[in-house]
Amino acid sequence: MWNNVKALTAAIVFLGATSLLAQDAAIPPGAVNINLPDNSPLALKSFTMADSRATARGAALALDLHMSATLVNNSPRRIHGVTLRVVAQEVTLGGKGSVTYPSLNVGPGETFQVRIDMQLMRPSQVTGGPLVQVDLDGVLFQDLSFFGPDRLNSRRTMTACEKEAQRDREHFKRILAQAGRTGLQREMLESMARQSEVSQLAVTVKRTGRAVTSAAIAPEHDAEFAFLEFPDSPVKPMNGSARISGNEARTPRIEVRNRSNRPVKYVEMGWIVSDPSGKQYMAGSLPSADTDLILPPGQSARLLQETTLSFSAKGQPVNVSKMVGFVNQVEFADGNIWVPNRQNLDNALLLKVLPPSAEEQRLTDIYRKRGGLDALVAELSKF
Amino acid sequence: MKHPSQEVLALHAGGDLGWMARWKTARHLAGCERCTAEVGAFARFRETLPQLNQIPEVPWNRVAADMRANIRLGLAAGECVRSSDRPLRDSPLFTGARATLALASVLALMVTGLMLEGPAPSMASSNEPMVQATVNGIQSRSGDQAFGLMHSGARSVTYTVGAQGTLGARYTDPETGNVTMTKVYVE
Repeated sequence: MWNNVKALTAAIVFLGATSLLAQDAAIPPGAVNINLPDNSPLALKSFTMADSRATARGAALALDLHMSATLVNNSPRRIHGVTLRVVAQEVTLGGKGSVTYPSLNVGPGETFQVRIDMQLMRPSQVTGGPLVQVDLDGVLFQDLSFFGPDRLNSRRTMTACEKEAQRDREHFKRILAQAGRTGLQREMLESMARQSEVSQLAVTVKRTGRAVTSAAIAPEHDAEFAFLEFPDSPVKPMNGSARISGNEARTPRIEVRNRSNRPVKYVEMGWIVSDPSGKQYMAGSLPSADTDLILPPGQSARLLQETTLSFSAKGQPVNVSKMVGFVNQVEFADGNIWVPNRQNLDNALLLKVLPPSAEEQRLTDIYRKRGGLDALVAELSKF
Repeated sequence: MKHPSQEVLALHAGGDLGWMARWKTARHLAGCERCTAEVGAFARFRETLPQLNQIPEVPWNRVAADMRANIRLGLAAGECVRSSDRPLRDSPLFTGARATLALASVLALMVTGLMLEGPAPSMASSNEPMVQATVNGIQSRSGDQAFGLMHSGARSVTYTVGAQGTLGARYTDPETGNVTMTKVYVE
């Protein structure tokens, strides 16, 4: 009894002292270092960090950063995409992320605003250097030329986005030309309806092997992929499988063959899962490893990732019953990128699970929030 | 038959009940010998109370000094017969009152600290390196360290998962109107 009282008292004293030590302080702009190279096509016009706070929590520090910057295009070309690399004290924490702004259309001398909101939890005893380092990873221009160190493969990401944007703008322009404003309006309404009906999974990704969760206690087995084939895809999926245990999928692998006449250096497969009731979800993508794939014409290679994905929806585990794969993106050795065309995507399954492209999302947002059909038609005419 | 309580009978004996309770009690006493006897006993006891005032004044200071001396004597005697070498305290560290007071003080400190601290950011918990979506952002986490890119205020967020260990979110920034794609990496 006496020992219990002492232990309880000690615990409460410790917690009370920890809480008492909690301090809230504003984070000065100097805590963030924005690094734009000297020859960068972008220049920093202004930067603010309003309402950014650091709070001590015992031995840890919680940082809530709200960064807003205005960048100016100092190049003679139109900018269509920017990626910033965001690192939080790389040596000590290793937290790394990127913020990409696709679908831009910034002319020479024009400015645009970017925002980065972050939350960090890190040891409080770490000292020295900026809390956060923001670097320019890449700028994509209208002609698909690129500037930047490309440490996060932002060239490929933004080029794929731009190819999808060109594809979708052409699609909507064609609708406008063929079916008029009424047809374009109908297409917008259908797109918004599809977007609202797409069911999303909450997915957790771990690099390690099988996780120990209640849902993962189920016996593990191999599940085979079925494939949706696109006639014009430069890569053909041959076979594939993943280790499935309840709501977890581990070490997905897909073998693909290059059926084009050009070498391929990157393949990304879309991955759809069905639960036992038949409900289908877009689970994620299975990319090839970034560096080790060079796939000559006619040759096969295996896409393999040693990761574990756990699926849930509305807080409940989603057990994996069936899996479907499709080719989502291919990069050739010369840097050209293939993405599925609108006819490929006009598939009952994909229409149900695939979210719209960034550009289609932007155009529907313009239609819905920023001026309706007139604003949309005006926006399409800019390209 | 339901009898009035002892308190009611005592108050009735002293004439301290309200009129309604007094009437009800008197009505009960008219048919209950046992309660009548109780009331009589209370009345007799009340008659002895004034005599208590006639007890000579107690010398409390002398009594207290005697009690302290007896306590010291008892402690000294206990020390003599004690087998262990552990020193004795003059008094226990935590009596009931002291412990209650200490706990109440600590509790007050905790409440104050929590109020000053404000709401904690929603960080998921895991010791393994992982990436996952949180309430209003995406996050990579390893142990007690976390790195999150947030999309507060954004609607229609689309998440993209890369099996190589990435999680992305795509949304339209409500302030700038720009489509924004964030991505975090498992380290």
